[in-house]
Amino acid sequence: MEAYRHEIILGTIILYMSLCVLIGLWSMGRTRNASDFFIAGRTLGPIVVSLALFASTLSGFGFVGGPGLVYSIGVSSFWMVVISATAFGLGFFLVSKRIRMIAELRGCMTIPDVIAARYGSELARLLVAVTIVLGVLGYLATQILAMSVVMQAILADTEMFADISLLSCVVLSSTVLVFYCVTGGVIASVYTDVLQGLVMMVAGFLILITAMQTFDGGLREASEIVLADDGESMMPFGAAGIITSLGWFFIFGIGLAGQPHIVTKMMMNKNLADNRSILPLSLLGYVVAALLWISIGLVMRAVVVSGGAEPLTLPDDAAATFLALFASPLLAGIVFAALFAAIMSTSDAFLNIGTAAIIHDIPRAVRGRPVENELLWARVVTVILAVVAAGFALFSYYRDATLVALLGAFGWSTFAASLFPVLAIGLNWKRATTAGAVAAVSSALAINFIVQLAGITLPWGITGGLAAFVTSLVLFFGVSYATPLPRLARDIDRVMEI
Amino acid sequence: MDRVLPYVIFAVVLAMAALLLLIGITEAPVNAAGVAHDTIPAMQAGGDGAARLKAIGGYAFAFNCMLLLFAILLCVLSVSPGKRTPAFFGWMTITFAVNILVWQQMYFQHQAFLETGDTGWFLGFPTATAWQVYGVWFAGVVMIAIYSAGFRRYILSEEDERRFEELLRESRDSQE
Repeated sequence: MEAYRHEIILGTIILYMSLCVLIGLWSMGRTRNASDFFIAGRTLGPIVVSLALFASTLSGFGFVGGPGLVYSIGVSSFWMVVISATAFGLGFFLVSKRIRMIAELRGCMTIPDVIAARYGSELARLLVAVTIVLGVLGYLATQILAMSVVMQAILADTEMFADISLLSCVVLSSTVLVFYCVTGGVIASVYTDVLQGLVMMVAGFLILITAMQTFDGGLREASEIVLADDGESMMPFGAAGIITSLGWFFIFGIGLAGQPHIVTKMMMNKNLADNRSILPLSLLGYVVAALLWISIGLVMRAVVVSGGAEPLTLPDDAAATFLALFASPLLAGIVFAALFAAIMSTSDAFLNIGTAAIIHDIPRAVRGRPVENELLWARVVTVILAVVAAGFALFSYYRDATLVALLGAFGWSTFAASLFPVLAIGLNWKRATTAGAVAAVSSALAINFIVQLAGITLPWGITGGLAAFVTSLVLFFGVSYATPLPRLARDIDRVMEI
Repeated sequence: MDRVLPYVIFAVVLAMAALLLLIGITEAPVNAAGVAHDTIPAMQAGGDGAARLKAIGGYAFAFNCMLLLFAILLCVLSVSPGKRTPAFFGWMTITFAVNILVWQQMYFQHQAFLETGDTGWFLGFPTATAWQVYGVWFAGVVMIAIYSAGFRRYILSEEDERRFEELLRESRDSQE
């Protein structure tokens, strides 16, 4: 079996990609209008929504960057994972019921639609839509780049594709992604998410078993090795320190309810009461898949510290090196398929919400009406958005990393800082005003941009995202209280009473 | 309570902002956010953890207490006032107490390790880290259990569903 390692890995990935294409073809017949394309016509059952929700949450970062962070800074990055139960819980308490109600009541297809309905403001819709487009470009570019780099590394190990270029890998990987997003819209996106979620859960569970067997003494021996080398790295705040750790607690724990690619999924379930089971199922899926993040990172740090392997050139090589050293070819194939699944499940969610912002929300905010034939334009813009993001990714790789790094700053923390107050608190607090919402979104964008552009390093490991989040919350409440009491639309007011 | 709660949440947000500001202006020891590992490139070590906690440990501890309170108060805000029964407040108080217990155990077990260099172990991790890995997860699961098990009582009753159906009907009628 070991002699055919590369072929087995490649075969597993080809099988996974083929299934994604087949799901795209199957979904095409079920996508008849823009509502089907963007929110699956609100027809999905609890298991599909649960898997789609957690698969969108765990991106390629969880499979590459996550283990790399544990290798590099120890337990600090555990905070991003262990906070997931609180994050999902809070997200469901604050958002899931009312967003689904407003979506059905007003026929909303997107988060900016919901914001416009809640605040009665096209300016709020426009600001949120622009934030989403900027974030989508950054996220997509980094995800496409990661997917292409991994694909190039895998193909380069085979005789036939030894000299394959990064450009070819960008085209190859993006084609599969764009194919199923264009043909089946969000229906294809969520059903591929189901496949992708299952692959990630299997990979997470099998990797934990493998990691526990790496040392005779299991995870405890790995922990003891890391602790003996540097005590702080194995303690709750890791090498990055208490403030960075608590900042991640804040941004990932509270901020999940502000992630547009995740909360959009809360608009898609058929029955409101399904939220009761969607929440625990989503968390279960996430926890099982995220076991990979913690176990690979910890074991690789212990292996390198104890001299069992050469130090890694880059922390992000932790997962690939672990697979090469300790995983059977079949397990390595499953984990690489899971990596592609993680990247593609997040990317398709972003392609979908980015397209919606461009053809649905921005025209409504600027011209007061949507574009004609939204379904056709949705398909065209999905392709254009993917091409532009792939272009950013290649430009970043070959010429200048600043552009993607800048757009990458519009990642999780910017969405958390700008959208959490407006959406998650705004859906539960009638006193929130349009001025408060505009102040929160603008300040979050400005602080993240300034910190990134000026290369500002804050003391004690305080991240720009944390500073932006706290500031936007202060402004959201402060400006709302300082401006006149808003007059809510009657139907929105009644939804907020329920 | 309905009118006071948002003010309380705002006060908690202001307290977090003030604590963050205090932390920001406190002079940081060398390598406050980690230091390069002695021998292994691309790896960080913790530096002087005791020095870090001595300078800002109290602020950081209070900051996370405020953060946990913020999360619980937001859960309360999301439940419509009519459903905020004494039992609901009881469950939310228990959730907050569990979160605080986990946080203080984690923090003080870590501090004890810094002072003595010794630690106990639980399911593969040093005690302080075990509180983080298992405790924080468990504390969140309590919140999820309240949501799922108390769904009909606190989140969406059958009467709520009927009210929403009626609202939908009125909306459709007015459009026709």
